[in-house]
Amino acid sequence: MSAAIPSVACLGVIGRNNNPLHISIFPSYDPTANAFTPIRNPLQFSLLLSSTIDVFDLRSKTSTASGDFGLLHAIDDRLAAYGFETNTGVRMVCIVDMRGRRVEAGGSGVAGQGSGAAGASTASSTSASAAAARSSVGSVGAGLRDSEIKPVFRAMQSAYVRLLQNPFYDPDEHAPLGGKGGRRITSKKFGDDMKRIGEAWTPGVTTL
Amino acid sequence: MAASKASRIGEEIWKTRIDKVNAELVTLTYGTIVAQLCKDFEDDYPEVNRQLDKMGYNIGLRLIEDYLAKSNTMKRCSNFRETADMISRVGFKIFLNITPQVTNWTADNNSFSLVFDENPFADFVELPDDGRAQNELWYSNILCGVLRGALEMVQMQVEAHFISDVLKGNDTTEMRVTLIRYIDDELPPEDD
Repeated sequence: MSAAIPSVACLGVIGRNNNPLHISIFPSYDPTANAFTPIRNPLQFSLLLSSTIDVFDLRSKTSTASGDFGLLHAIDDRLAAYGFETNTGVRMVCIVDMRGRRVEAGGSGVAGQGSGAAGASTASSTSASAAAARSSVGSVGAGLRDSEIKPVFRAMQSAYVRLLQNPFYDPDEHAPLGGKGGRRITSKKFGDDMKRIGEAWTPGVTTL
Repeated sequence: MAASKASRIGEEIWKTRIDKVNAELVTLTYGTIVAQLCKDFEDDYPEVNRQLDKMGYNIGLRLIEDYLAKSNTMKRCSNFRETADMISRVGFKIFLNITPQVTNWTADNNSFSLVFDENPFADFVELPDDGRAQNELWYSNILCGVLRGALEMVQMQVEAHFISDVLKGNDTTEMRVTLIRYIDDELPPEDD
């Protein structure tokens, strides 16, 4: 008997001009095919991220001091979008699939992530936190506490800070002042960081 | 002078006689210089390398005075091996708080490598992904110029260049330093 626990389905970074800076999509476990496939296609994820911008705008009027927006909207019974905004107007969105990862009810076995390389390195931390995950999310769809998402945003923010420290990254190019649009982030290091965060997170993980 | 003694001197000076600045200030300032050079020379990386080397050379000419004043070693190094140890364990130690390894000596003791386990200049850096920077740009090339300039002021003509860099995906960051000749103090032309 296996149970499903939440995993990250998509990580998005949105620039201050409402322009997409980065989108990472992660495969979810599909019990019918017993395989890992993304739950939506890239265009749909892009649409979901765009739709969060309105929520950010709406909420920013009564904005929280910490920048943490918590649950932005629950998309359906599986997907939910959580958000975080920095003071410079960069928004980070984490779309969680509430049944994206499989754990054996016995407790020992955790189905590895879809992509092999990172799966091996994160396997130990994943299985350690799987027990915590099951206890914190009693039943599917019970929702996540904001504090469980926080490590994701903290890790995303520090990855973004590291990106900005790179002298060859020009923030102006990616979100021109007062203008429109901007180029996407092409940094490999940043992409790898996002991949690592998305694959390692599961409820109960405190450091990424 | 033994290598361990050089280490002790370096440590001592670093602790007592050096004004410290924030590492990120140094990293970001240097990064800005390199990025700006790349922009100014329109990504002509060999030219950027040359400019960095030239800037380093001018720094080295001055820095050596500071080095000699702080290290308080009036004695000359007796051979090039000792010079290498002093560069790594005193010079790099007091100015950057790193001690690159001195290795890969040639048989004639005229050429060695400095292997940088850490490089404060290159923290956070990712070279531009334009297909050329990875091959052509030596990001920390200013250090070559510094060594060239500093050693020239103490009568050593050297040639220094990087041969590998972790930024380019190599396993190590390695600089090759070769002694060309000792510059004799030139006598003024004799009056007849």
